Amino acid sequence: MAADFRGIVEVLVDGGVEVVVVGGLAAQAHGSARLTQDADFIYSRSPKNIARLVETLAPFAPYLRGAPPGLPFRFDKETVQRGLNFTLTTALGDLDLLGEMLGGGSYELVLPNTVVLNVFGRDLRVLDHPR
Amino acid sequence: MADTPSHRFPREAAPAAEGARDAAILRKYGIEPDPVIEAYKRDVDRTLLRQNLARTPDERWQVITQALRLQEELRAAGAKARGR
Repeated sequence: MAADFRGIVEVLVDGGVEVVVVGGLAAQAHGSARLTQDADFIYSRSPKNIARLVETLAPFAPYLRGAPPGLPFRFDKETVQRGLNFTLTTALGDLDLLGEMLGGGSYELVLPNTVVLNVFGRDLRVLDHPR
Repeated sequence: MADTPSHRFPREAAPAAEGARDAAILRKYGIEPDPVIEAYKRDVDRTLLRQNLARTPDERWQVITQALRLQEELRAAGAKARGR
């Protein structure tokens, strides 16, 4: 039931995971006053990044949000490779990992439309808002 | 991209079953399901709502406080990047 959003940002950035903040958090960075209670990230589907993502998040016990406890869910490279979008609960808080995003596509397609912001002392890539 | 595989549970896992279950609960209380609301519910991540309802008021307050801290940080970083 944690909500350590700072922790989520720190863990992903320090782990060198290629992610872009999207959704409500990205909207907040551009001035939205709407409060969101989960963190949405689009992640690179490259094998190297999937390995890094799994290694970085594994200590925080990722599990499918809303699923009954005890399912044989393993957050490992194979699971991420076979899946795409994951809505997770973790020891740090709720986290949505998107392999693709409606209207945006993959991490690589979104990348040119991002801006790097310094958040909690870390450089974090956030979806940009065209003027 | 509407058909992309997803690991959202249980919304995409069994949407028809969940819809039928919701309809049964509503009818139990004499409420007929509204087709417009049912259509919109497909795009609402209700796992977050359920998770929040399972929290105590104190836990909800803690989540909101943390979310507000992140919002302040993001808005300040965004404003700085835009030179404001």
